[in-house]
Amino acid sequence: MYRTRCTDGATTKCRAHDRGVTHLLFSIVLSTLILSGTAFCSAQFDEARVHADRGLQLAQSGDLQGAENELRQAIKLEPRNPEFLSTLGTLLAMDKKLDESSTLFRKALQLAPQDSTSRRYLAANLWQLHRYPEAKQELQTLLRQHPNDAAARLLLGMVSENSGDYSTAAKMLSSVPDEVSKQPESVAALARSYYQLHERERARTTLSVLSEQAAEQGVLLGAQIADQAEDFETAQKLLESVSPSGTHFAIVQYRLALVEYHAKRFAESQSRLQRLIDSGHETSQAYNLMGWTYQQQANLKAAAESFERAIALAPADESNYLDLGRILFAHGSLRIALDVAKRAAIQFPNSVAVFDFKGRTESRMLQFTDAIRSYKRATQLDPSNAEVTLGLARAQASAGLNADAASTLDTALNRFPKDARFQVEYALMLIKQAETGDAVARTRAEKMLRSALAIAPINQQALYELGNLELNDGRVTEASRHLEQVVKLAPLSSQAHFALARAYRRLKRVEDAQKEMDLYNRSKETDSRDGAASHNDEAKN
Amino acid sequence: MKRKINASRVRSHALFAGLALAIALVGASTAFTALAVPSKELFADITQEAGITWRQFSGESPDRFLIETMGGGVAFLDVDNDGLLDIFFVNGGETPGGKSPGPIKNALYRNLGNGKFEDVASKAGVDHIDFYGIGVAVGDFDNDGFPDLYVTGFPTSALFHNNGNGTFTDVTAHAGVKNSGRWAAGAAWFDYDRDGLLDLVVTNYAEFSFDQPKKCEVNGVRSYCAQVAYKGMPLTLYHNNGDRTFTDVSARSGLDKMIGRGLGVVAIDFNDDGWPDLFVARDASPNLLLINKRDGTFEDAALDAEIAYNANGNAKAGMGVDVADVNGDGLPDLVVTNFNDQYHSLFMGSASFPYQDRTVASHLAQFSKADVGWGTKFLDYDNDGNPDLIIANGHINQSIELMREDVKYQEPLLLLHNEGQGVFRNSAQEGGPAFNSGYISRGLAVGDVDNDGDPDVVITRLNGTSMLLRNKVGQDSNWVGFELQGTKSNRDAIGAKITVTAGARRLVRWILGGSSYISSSDKRVLVGLGHSQVKAVDVDVLWPSGTRQELSNLQVNRYFKIVEGTQ
Repeated sequence: MYRTRCTDGATTKCRAHDRGVTHLLFSIVLSTLILSGTAFCSAQFDEARVHADRGLQLAQSGDLQGAENELRQAIKLEPRNPEFLSTLGTLLAMDKKLDESSTLFRKALQLAPQDSTSRRYLAANLWQLHRYPEAKQELQTLLRQHPNDAAARLLLGMVSENSGDYSTAAKMLSSVPDEVSKQPESVAALARSYYQLHERERARTTLSVLSEQAAEQGVLLGAQIADQAEDFETAQKLLESVSPSGTHFAIVQYRLALVEYHAKRFAESQSRLQRLIDSGHETSQAYNLMGWTYQQQANLKAAAESFERAIALAPADESNYLDLGRILFAHGSLRIALDVAKRAAIQFPNSVAVFDFKGRTESRMLQFTDAIRSYKRATQLDPSNAEVTLGLARAQASAGLNADAASTLDTALNRFPKDARFQVEYALMLIKQAETGDAVARTRAEKMLRSALAIAPINQQALYELGNLELNDGRVTEASRHLEQVVKLAPLSSQAHFALARAYRRLKRVEDAQKEMDLYNRSKETDSRDGAASHNDEAKN
Repeated sequence: MKRKINASRVRSHALFAGLALAIALVGASTAFTALAVPSKELFADITQEAGITWRQFSGESPDRFLIETMGGGVAFLDVDNDGLLDIFFVNGGETPGGKSPGPIKNALYRNLGNGKFEDVASKAGVDHIDFYGIGVAVGDFDNDGFPDLYVTGFPTSALFHNNGNGTFTDVTAHAGVKNSGRWAAGAAWFDYDRDGLLDLVVTNYAEFSFDQPKKCEVNGVRSYCAQVAYKGMPLTLYHNNGDRTFTDVSARSGLDKMIGRGLGVVAIDFNDDGWPDLFVARDASPNLLLINKRDGTFEDAALDAEIAYNANGNAKAGMGVDVADVNGDGLPDLVVTNFNDQYHSLFMGSASFPYQDRTVASHLAQFSKADVGWGTKFLDYDNDGNPDLIIANGHINQSIELMREDVKYQEPLLLLHNEGQGVFRNSAQEGGPAFNSGYISRGLAVGDVDNDGDPDVVITRLNGTSMLLRNKVGQDSNWVGFELQGTKSNRDAIGAKITVTAGARRLVRWILGGSSYISSSDKRVLVGLGHSQVKAVDVDVLWPSGTRQELSNLQVNRYFKIVEGTQ
C-alpha cells in the first residue's frame, strides 16, 4: 500500500520532468512538495515527511548540503520510501555525487520499478559516469515502458553515440528532431553518427541547422565535427557563415586554418595564420599551428621559429616545447631537440611528458646515463606511467646496468601485470645476457616471451624474438610458425622477413627463402630511405 | 725457462739454416736472446728495447673528422730479403684543425737481428706521403722477389716499388693505382685471374671531404658522427698488366656496384674451386662475400652464407677480418671485428651455405660485448695446432664513458685461446702486462719477428706509440714453418693452400691476401704441432696456379722454403 502511493507520486514527478533536462531537478523538488500534502499513515512517516519537506525547502533556497542532511534524516526514518530515495538521489546528482546518487536511484527503482523519472535520472548519471552499457540498459527498459519518451530517446541517442553505436544513435536522435535541435551538442552527436555511418549528406543537413539556428559557439562545434570527419568543405562553410565582425573572429580564422591544415592545404593555412597574426591576433596557439604548417612544408627552420614564438607567448604551456622538440626529433636534429627538452625540464620540473621526451631524446642519442636520470624523474612524478617505466628499463639495459634494469622490470611486472611489453623487454635483456654465456638467462628469456604471449598472443616482438630463439636452437619448424605470424602481422618488417628466410633456408624451402629475402630487401630499402634523415645528428657511440 | 727459450731458438735457427730435398734455405741469424723476459707471460712488450719509438698522428681536431679515428696501418715484411721481418708503419696526417708541430712521417723499421730495429724510412724513400695515410698492403706485384708496398689513404693512395737495394720508388702514377678522390682503407693483393700476377683490391670507406665537417655532439661536446652519416663508396679492383702497370677493372668486374663502407678485406678461396674469392668487412653496410666467377667478375654470396648481416638483418660495424681453420675441419672460418654491443663475429665455413654463426657458442660474444674491434688475426700463439685469436680494440669517442657504464674509451687487447673446435677461453690474464691496460688500438699484424717459430704481434695505437709483442711460449711446442715461392703462381704464393699431416692430425692453412685491419702480416705460414712426438710431417701444397706439390718427411721445428714445381 505504501509502495503504491509512492509510485503514484513518482509518476507525477515524471510528468513534471519531461519539460527539459535542465529543469528536471528542480521540478522534482516541486513535485515532491506537491506530494508533501498527501496523507500517510504513521507518525514516523510524518516525521520523515517533515525532514523531507524541510530538505526540499533548503534545496530551493540553494542550501544543498542542508537539504541533503534533511533528506538523509527522512530516509533514516523511512528507508524504504522510494520518493525520499529518489529525491536524495536527485540532490546528490546536482551536487555531482553521481555514484551515491545512482545507488539511491537503483534502490528507489527496486521499490518502484515504474518510476520513469528515477530511471531516466539513473541513466543520465550512468552516462556521465561513462558506464554506457548500464545506461543503455536502463533507457531501453524505460522505452519499453514509454516508447515515446522523447527525453529517453534523446539520452539513448547520446549514450549510443558515445559508446560507438552510431546506428542506434542516429535512429534515436533523428526520431526527436525538436529535442535535438534545442542543443548544439545533440546536433553534433547526430551529425557525428551520420558521418560515422558514411551518410555524409545527412550529416551536412543536420549541421546546417547550426548555421541557421545556433549561436556562434554552436557553429564552431558543428565545424569541429565536420573537420574531424574530414568533411573539410562543410567545416569551412560553417566557419565562413560566422560574421567576420563577430566576437569570435580570431577563433574562426584559427579554426579555418586548422581545417586547411587537416585538408593538407598547408600553405593556405600558413598564410591565413600569418594574416591573423598580422592583424594583431598574435597567440601561442596560432604560432603553434603555423609551426606545424612549416613542418609539413619541410621548412624546419621556420617551424622552429614559430614554435619558439609560441613558447615566448605562452611560456607556461609545455605543449609548445614538446611540439618543437618532437619535430626536431623527427627530423633527426637530436642535439637541438635535446636543448629544447632541457629548457622544458627547467621550466616544467614536474612534467612527466617533458622528462619522458627528454629521456627518449637522450636514449636516441645513446646518452643512456642522462636518459636514466630523466626517466627516473618521470617515474618519480608518475609511478603509474608504464611508458616512462619502460623507457627507464630500456635506458638502464642499454647503459649496461643490467641489475638496475632487472630491478625496474621486476617492479614493473608487478605494477603492470597485463602489459606484455615489460615481459618482452625483460626477455630482450635476458637474451643479451644469454649471448654472453648465461644459459639460465636463455631459459628465462624464452619463459618470459611465452608469458608475454599469454597476455598478448599477437605481440609482434615477442613472436619475433621467440622465433629467433627457436631458430638459433635449431627448432626450425616452431621458429617458422612464429615468424610466419610476425610477417602476417607486420608485412613490412624487414627483420621478420630476414629471419623467416633463414628458417626456410634451413627447411630447404629454397624458393620461399628467396621470396622472403626479396621482401627483406624491399623492406630494407624503405627502412633506409625512412631512416636516412634521422641519422644526421647522431654521434658514433 | 730462460735457458729453454734460448736453446729452442738455437735449435730452430740451426734447423732453419738447413736444406731438405728441393727446399731452399730461408736464412736467419737473429739474436733475440738478449730479450729474455720474466716467465709465465705469453707475450713480452719489447717495443722499447727494440727501439721502436714511432707515434701515429691522427690530426685529431675540434672538427672531429671521422678519418681521424680510422688510421694506423702496419705491416710485417722482409724488405731486403735478409730473412728478418721488418716493420712498416703508416702515419695519418694533418687535418684543417689538427696540425702537427713536426713533419708527419711513416716509419720503416729494419730488423737488425739483434733485437734492435732502426728506422730507415727516410733512406728507403717511404717516410713521406702527400695524402692522409691509412693502411698498407704488402705484395710483390712484379714478382722480382722483393715485397712492394701499397699505402692507402685519402684522397689518394700510393704504390711503392721495392728496388731490392733497401730503397723504394713511388710508382703510383705510372702504375695507375692512385685511386684518386677516394678514402681508401683496406687493400689486398691477390691473383683473381690466376695469371701469376698479383692484382689489387682496395676497399674504399666513404665519401669524405675536409671542407664539409659533419657536426655531432654529445652533452654539448663535439663528437664523431656515426658512420651512417657518410655515404659508402664502391670497391676498386686493379688488374695487374704484367708490365708494372695496372688497369682499373672495377666496372668490368662488377665491384663498382658494391657500394658501402668497406674496411677489412681478405682474399682466399672460400668455396674451394681453385679461384680466389674475397670477403669485405663493412661498417654499417652489409659484409660482402665475393665469389670469383672465373671470368673476371664476382658475385656476392654473403646473404646466402648469412654473413652479411646479424640475425636481425642489420649490418654490423665490420672493421677487421681474418680467416683460419678454427675448428679443424679443413674449411676456412672467419672472424670479423665490430662495434661495442654487436660482438665480434665468428662464422664457421661449410661446404654449403649458410655458414654457421658461432659468435655466441665460441664465447666470442661473451668476451667482446664492450669492445670496438679493429685489427685481428688468428695466431696459434702456443703452437698447439688450434688457431687462437688476437683482437685490437679501442673506442671512437672520448666521451663514451659519460654515456655508458660498461664501455671504455681505451679498451684492452683481446687474446683468446682456442680450446679446440673453435671454442675460446680468454687468456689475456696470462698475456702479460700489455694485455692488462686499455688502448686505442687500430692496426694489427702478426709475424715471426725473431724467427723462433712462433707468431709475434705488432699493434698500432691512435695518436700513440705502437707495441711490438714477442711471443714467449710458442717455441715450447713443436712447429713447422713454410715460405712459399711461386713460379707459375704469383711469387708470394698468395692463395696457396697448405695441408700438413702430422701423425693423425691434418692441419690446413692458407696464404691470405689482405686480412686484419689496414695491415699486412708475415706471408710465411707457421703450423703449430703441439707437444706431440711427431718428428716429421708431410705437406701438400695447392698452389694458386692449380699445381699440387707434395713433400714428405719434413723435420719439425724449422722453416722450409718451398718453390713451386721444384722437387
